[in-house]
Amino acid sequence: MPSRVVTALITNVVIAAERENAVVLAKSMTIDNQGGTSNRIISIQDVFTPSTSYGGTVTPQDIERFKTTVLAGDIITLNEEDLKGVKCLGAMYVLSDVADAGADRCYVTVGYEHE
Amino acid sequence: MLELQPKPQFSVVIPPKLLQEGYLVHFDSDWPSTHDAIREKTFRIDAVNQVPYDLSYILPTGAVGTIYRDVDFSNGSGGFQESIYPTKQNSLFEVLLGFKPGNFLSHWYIPAGKSVHALEYAQMYPDLTDTKRQYLGSRQPKDSPYDDPRIKFYLVKDLAPLIMRLYVLPGVNFEKIVMGLTINKCLMRLIEAPTEDQLLKAKVIRYYDYLRW
Repeated sequence: MPSRVVTALITNVVIAAERENAVVLAKSMTIDNQGGTSNRIISIQDVFTPSTSYGGTVTPQDIERFKTTVLAGDIITLNEEDLKGVKCLGAMYVLSDVADAGADRCYVTVGYEHE
Repeated sequence: MLELQPKPQFSVVIPPKLLQEGYLVHFDSDWPSTHDAIREKTFRIDAVNQVPYDLSYILPTGAVGTIYRDVDFSNGSGGFQESIYPTKQNSLFEVLLGFKPGNFLSHWYIPAGKSVHALEYAQMYPDLTDTKRQYLGSRQPKDSPYDDPRIKFYLVKDLAPLIMRLYVLPGVNFEKIVMGLTINKCLMRLIEAPTEDQLLKAKVIRYYDYLRW
């Protein structure tokens, strides 16, 4: 199972690119806010453009699939059971509500699978 | 401990899912005169080549029956055409199709607008705008799983367009529909005067109209 560590930003940070013939499933997530001075709301975002269809639009989508709060100085780990049903149809991104600045640091590790 | 397995009294042989080299196929008399090159003729499969091909579409859900995608398997540059039909008279494409799990239905039409799975009573045809009849004749992912595909169709040159209409069920915002195709390309050689035995052994490939008597 691949994983990726990213710094939590207030813009989408890519975890897994979109794959044409698969969805991306979140399998584990660790949010390390021990170096953080602010509480953080971290979300998993699903970014894709729908296919052409009758009656539909092809407007790019950025949909929130999961959200959790991590207190400053805390670290949380979510396993497969906690993330059950979190599925991204397109690319998987991570998003924070607070920007990293100076000593305020938060790292997110996500394990994922294309299925 | 020590065990001696008794010799089985019989064994079950599961035939291959796809046409193999040396197999015989026969196109019956239902085929129209526009398909004279194959109509009422028997062929031997001289070569096969399995070509896997995955297709996927991300579709939204909407008010009943208002949003859908047509997948046209015929050849061309149209936005919905997938161009998997043969272009040679001596080719037969045997196609297996399976779906990855998801919240969607598929309806089948050949040619466009003529459902394969209508019943006989008036209005008993698949209708996406009707909450009940959208399920009539629908094929769902469980009917033909990606790893064990059960939907099979045969394509020959200049066959009318086969259309699969995909529709995402209510209750999900969007769904990704992933389907796996295995296109078994078969090279056919005409048997000029098939024997009775060859005709008996040949797989009969019927024209699609026989599904709508």
